[in-house]
Amino acid sequence: MRNRGPSLALTLLAIALGLGAVYRLQVRMDSEISRVHQERDELLFRSGRLVKTLGLEYDGLLADIYWTRAVQYYGEKHSSFDPNFELLWPLLDLTTQLDPHLIPAYRFGVIFLSEQPPIGAGRPDLAEALIRRGVANNPEYWRFWADLGFLYYWGMKDYQKSSQAFLEGSKNPDAAIWMKVLAAKVAEEGRSLEVSLFLWQQVHDSAKDAATRLNAEGHVHRLKAELDLRQLDEIVAEFHKRFGRYPNSMEEVVRAGLLRGKPVDPKGFPYVLGPEGRVGLNPGSPIHLEEPKPMNQP
Amino acid sequence: MTRLAGVVAVNTFREAVRDRVLYSLLFFALLMIAAAILVGQISIGIETLVIINLGLSAISIIGLMMAVFIGVGLVYKEMDKRTLYAVLSKPIRRWEFLTGKFAGLLLTLLVNTALMTLGLAAALLYVKHSFAAADVTILVAVYFILLKLALITALALFFSCFSSPLLSILFTVGIYVAGLFASDIRTFGHITGSRALDAIAVAFSYLIPNFNNFNITASAAYGRAVPAKLILDNTLYAAVYAAIVLLAAAAAFSRRNLK
Repeated sequence: MRNRGPSLALTLLAIALGLGAVYRLQVRMDSEISRVHQERDELLFRSGRLVKTLGLEYDGLLADIYWTRAVQYYGEKHSSFDPNFELLWPLLDLTTQLDPHLIPAYRFGVIFLSEQPPIGAGRPDLAEALIRRGVANNPEYWRFWADLGFLYYWGMKDYQKSSQAFLEGSKNPDAAIWMKVLAAKVAEEGRSLEVSLFLWQQVHDSAKDAATRLNAEGHVHRLKAELDLRQLDEIVAEFHKRFGRYPNSMEEVVRAGLLRGKPVDPKGFPYVLGPEGRVGLNPGSPIHLEEPKPMNQP
Repeated sequence: MTRLAGVVAVNTFREAVRDRVLYSLLFFALLMIAAAILVGQISIGIETLVIINLGLSAISIIGLMMAVFIGVGLVYKEMDKRTLYAVLSKPIRRWEFLTGKFAGLLLTLLVNTALMTLGLAAALLYVKHSFAAADVTILVAVYFILLKLALITALALFFSCFSSPLLSILFTVGIYVAGLFASDIRTFGHITGSRALDAIAVAFSYLIPNFNNFNITASAAYGRAVPAKLILDNTLYAAVYAAIVLLAAAAAFSRRNLK
């Protein structure tokens, strides 16, 4: 009987070489596998009741799994610039049917179901159904009313319904004081840059997941830039009124005492002044304005 | 494999059959019969899909349970019953004994899986009334399950060389679960933003066996072809990884003091 196998050094060398081969194979297979798995865009069961029954007593755990899958699904689609989010609703629908109190799922859904492709599914109607379910299942959670108001305001542009949602939510004793203020402001003014900025800032500050926060941050930066540009246009118009001509540079506006310093956008890129007093974003800035800004405003 | 290892393999297979391991087939047969009869009544338009998903999942789960629970006892049981000493007193090397045990369990899994595949085919025929060329993907999916089981068996055998069955089960199942998330571990590493954590996560994700490679159930259910290159790469991956684990097992077992 021989107990000893090959020497330890040889064994370790063979294992190291083997692991190297395994690494090479895995790298080679990664793209093939992702292609095969990418086609797996389907859900076998879409009925919450059925999944709840099949899940025996583990519906809470199943909800967590579906929620994780929803976030991963969105992340994969978003990172691959795939605008088809057809499974986002069924995944969130199942998640919230399995666990009706899973707050982050509703809040995530209201943003990414309503946002237009390629950021979201472009289905504000489904977002409304989801958040209404959230409100019904969690009446104590006033932020769902804020989310509903936000959805009507931003995604559906129905300012009357938006105002009503903010007002309804403000009746909750725990609700923030701004709910009532927003109800009045939206009813009076409809859409405005200030309200939009405030709402996106709220979404950003109360978001629990990175995707929502990042998306909200993009909107906040864009809206701040739009507000800045509007203000800079007014300053340039003031310069024109005083000197009878447009400034040649921002430094000239600063020297005239109309600005304290060279203005920069939320990403730190200086605004640029073009011909005839046109103020715009720096070409190098990562901020993109949703709608082209009217450049020839006096 | 040497002749002596072959003798061990055949005996391991016989022992598994004597232990009524193949009774699992009865469970599978009942499941498939029930599914084939009931599926038409509870699912609309996805009868074939449910049969394939259910069949492949059952083949995988039953195989996994066999590989883990029998695998961890392969060496331990021999030591516990003291039959190992009688075997090793014969002119057989320890690595040959291990290889034989591995091959024996693999043979058991192969027979079991082949019979379950026949059951799945029968259920499918009952529901669809005929086979299509695309159904060959189901065989590829079964083959991938077998590759996965070979890896699991190697891991279970490795752990059984130096720990108790309970711990071996925990280690094997733990690596299996971690291996299912190998690609996600890599992504999580990127998300952390820490270069050190990212490097550790990437290294770990490549070090553990990536069991996600073997999951093509959805492709099989929809009859989507699997690239031949992937089949070849997966075969190589499973073979090389199982060889590494068996080598480590042989090294550990050869140095173990059995007195």
